Amino acid sequence: MSPEKIVVSIDKDLEELIPGFLNNRRKDVNLLNEALANNKLDTLKSIGHSLKGVGGGYGFHQLSAIGEAIEKKAKAGETDGIPELISGMADYLDRVKVVFE
Amino acid sequence: MENYFPLDNKTDYTHKIVVVDDDDEILVVMSKWLTAAGFDVVTALSGSEAFEKITGSAPSLVITDLFMDGMNGLELMSSLHKTNPMLPVIILSGQAGIPDAVKATHMGSAAFLTKPIEKIELIENVKRYLRRPSGKPGEHNFSDKIVYCSQLMAERIELAQLIADSNVTIFITGATGTGKEVFAQAIHQASPRKDKPFIAINCGAIPEQLLESELFGHEKGAFSGAIAKHDGLFHAANGGTLFLDEIGDMPLSLQVKLLRVLQDFEVRPVGSSKSYPVDVRIISASHRNIEEKVQLGEFREDLYYRLKVVPFHIPALSERQEDTPLLINHFLKRYAQDNHKTEKRFAPDAMQYLVSAPWPGNIRQLINVVDICATLNKADTIPLSLARSVLQEKPGEIRTLKEARREFEKNYLIGVLRIANGHVANAAKIADRNRTEFYKLLNQHNLNPADFR
Repeated sequence: MSPEKIVVSIDKDLEELIPGFLNNRRKDVNLLNEALANNKLDTLKSIGHSLKGVGGGYGFHQLSAIGEAIEKKAKAGETDGIPELISGMADYLDRVKVVFE
Repeated sequence: MENYFPLDNKTDYTHKIVVVDDDDEILVVMSKWLTAAGFDVVTALSGSEAFEKITGSAPSLVITDLFMDGMNGLELMSSLHKTNPMLPVIILSGQAGIPDAVKATHMGSAAFLTKPIEKIELIENVKRYLRRPSGKPGEHNFSDKIVYCSQLMAERIELAQLIADSNVTIFITGATGTGKEVFAQAIHQASPRKDKPFIAINCGAIPEQLLESELFGHEKGAFSGAIAKHDGLFHAANGGTLFLDEIGDMPLSLQVKLLRVLQDFEVRPVGSSKSYPVDVRIISASHRNIEEKVQLGEFREDLYYRLKVVPFHIPALSERQEDTPLLINHFLKRYAQDNHKTEKRFAPDAMQYLVSAPWPGNIRQLINVVDICATLNKADTIPLSLARSVLQEKPGEIRTLKEARREFEKNYLIGVLRIANGHVANAAKIADRNRTEFYKLLNQHNLNPADFR
């Protein structure tokens, strides 16, 4: 994993919401891993769907893309590639650096 | 004349937006954006919670998620449109396909947006469907002076803004009580003449001799009683705007004189042999059918065409029902402020009754009814029974059932056409009529679907 930071510009109006938002996404990583371990496709689909809706809204478009990919795979009944998507999300959360504008 | 529309009052222009989503994080982010953009936001985590919160209040717009447990977005919209068919509803969804979007549009949604939603997209859509002034609330611009949320009024405002900048002569028509002088004043305020005087005169309220002297001025001794020189309103309005209300009542002899002023930009006071130049913009208005008066020879055709370079019609209150709740709440607030009392509100059924009333006296009548209700009601909530008795105490203004039905039918058709953006097949579907029948109804009411596209 590269230690390089991923800089994301976020609307200043949302500044106070961002720590809670990122914290919730870290919880999502755990929930996704747990759902994957138990092959709970509905949970994977639901978290992916909500991630897709909420990520871009807050300005984290990559999270939306990851959410959409997880939702699609779970909807199709596949788990192939989901572990990589989840670890990609965890990596993104570790490296993201928010700049408020 | 009383101001029918509030001027420069920030709170009156803060639209209430109801946002519904079962994902509280999305709710929070949308709420932040809308609040920062100057809107008053109410949030709900479900359709039923939203329905409860909306009942009894008058939101300007609703944004709802499509898929939610219990009452979904379409069901919420459908319930809301039963009592307020004009309420703009924006549907938001993260998993909808084209059929959902088509269904939502057919059911009357203002817009269908997909998640993730961007701030700019959301705010632009909200403004578009509210036709909210582009300036910040409280900013002094033309539309901030007039309370409205209807498309019809938004179009009038756009036209008024366009013509305000020029010097063209404007002829305002509209039924009594629609606020012709308020518009004239707003046009003046939005024009380069705003720092010069705005002078209004009701041509129908002043006797002929006096009107001539009032308008053009007179010399000392010009007639018996003219003990001093009088400059007249053209002189007083120099550089600014002169509003000639009820111009249709101006006597023919004065019409000639006014025509001369409009042609030569010169005024000659009564009893004077000299004219002096004036730079006055003329806005005139009438609630009468001037064309009819022209045909009868009671109004000069040449003057009429000079006056109505830009004709400007103000719709009746019954044509813009969706503005009524905003106006009612504004007048309730104003009553409370003027009388140092707690602000009262109408019960939901009373509000609905008032919204669907015909209002032949337009906003002037609305103000009277609101003021009487606010005065007579001891409690904070004004019940339907009081609203009904106050409104019906004016027997001259009650129409026959046939007239009322026809009026309702026309307003209903207008509402449906607006919802369907002038698409007849969709409008007919909403009205549960076949296309042929629907076209027949449109013809009966002289409605052209193209006007709603």
